[in-house]
Amino acid sequence: MPGAPVPPEIAHLERPRDELLTWYFLKALATVFLFPVTMLMFYFRFHTMRYKFDEEGIHMAWGILMRHEIMLNYSRIQDIQLHSNVIERWLGLTRIEVQTAAGASDSEMTLEGLPDPEAMRDFLYSRMRGAHTATPGAANAVSEPLEAVLLEVASELRAIREILEARRA
Amino acid sequence: MIRWLRTTILHLMRTPAEPQPPDGSAGSARVFRAGRNYYRWRLALWFISNLGVVILLTVVLFALARPVRVGPPWKRYIAESFMALLVIAFLASAFFTFLQQRLNYELRWYVITDRCLRIRSGILNVHEITTTFANIQEVRLSAGPLQKVLGLADVEVHSAGGGSGKRSSDSHVARFEGVDNALEIRDFILARLRQYRDSGLGEKDHARPSGLSEGSQAAAQAVLTEARGLRAALFYLSLT
Repeated sequence: MPGAPVPPEIAHLERPRDELLTWYFLKALATVFLFPVTMLMFYFRFHTMRYKFDEEGIHMAWGILMRHEIMLNYSRIQDIQLHSNVIERWLGLTRIEVQTAAGASDSEMTLEGLPDPEAMRDFLYSRMRGAHTATPGAANAVSEPLEAVLLEVASELRAIREILEARRA
Repeated sequence: MIRWLRTTILHLMRTPAEPQPPDGSAGSARVFRAGRNYYRWRLALWFISNLGVVILLTVVLFALARPVRVGPPWKRYIAESFMALLVIAFLASAFFTFLQQRLNYELRWYVITDRCLRIRSGILNVHEITTTFANIQEVRLSAGPLQKVLGLADVEVHSAGGGSGKRSSDSHVARFEGVDNALEIRDFILARLRQYRDSGLGEKDHARPSGLSEGSQAAAQAVLTEARGLRAALFYLSLT
């Protein structure tokens, strides 16, 4: 249902959960000697991260020096992936990777630190192309009687022309 | 004992329970599981990789044994405790990866509904992918020689995009790994895909606006009525 209003609990989402910073800290620890640099990067990434879910798509922005902004239309989503390792699950986090058909092989958008990843996945899924109604085949079936009617019109017109031609002869 | 170990591990890992089937028409969800032989296949992989480690370990141990024989006693203690540590680490990892194979086999779900498919796998790293049939580009089957002997195959369902990166095996691909009814799954998916003749990339919304379709049909019907009337009128005119 494109254009349908977004549920309020999702429309109000803007900031990731605080647990994400804990996860970033652990991730930075894993870089050992580079810890100060990576932690600083993660710290700013966390504090500048903003989400916005509106009727059309997802907006995501982060970064100060390197500003990133991603806008993604729900209907362009190809697949939705959920990733989580043990530590992330202990912290109650799950990454949602949203793929579109753009060239990059890694995910276009990684939604991190959202409060209810499963609900978010279901929401995104409900906005994806092909998740609703209608097999396009059914829509095509409607057009078939139209073709039949037009063919019949043509045959009627042909009969009229034949009558006229017979009269002239 | 085994069951207790299993539930404890799953609890510690916070591995989520069986995945919910995604929205679709009621009762259309069908869950496929990995084939019985998939466990054997994983055990074979486990055995081969551990065999490699055993060979490497023996080489290292022999290399360490030389300085132990000629060196002073303190060197010997260090070398021997190092060797013991290596062996213990190997045995522990072999034991846990052995357990992992069983869980990895059991905790795999391939769900297909009438509109989408969802695949869940993994224990340590849980991975779940959901995609709709409207986005599917191609379906691939593959089976190695050992898999063939075990009657297994992988079904790969590709959605659009993302070809060349090093993680391409990961993204945009839903893998039905180690299934023993690959052909059935393929036909099942293809049958669903057939409903989406224009699958893949394309117009934003494939469902035609029904208002236009109904309106143009009514218009065509009106033209037809007129044409019929005209013909009848002409026919009577030609008689007179």
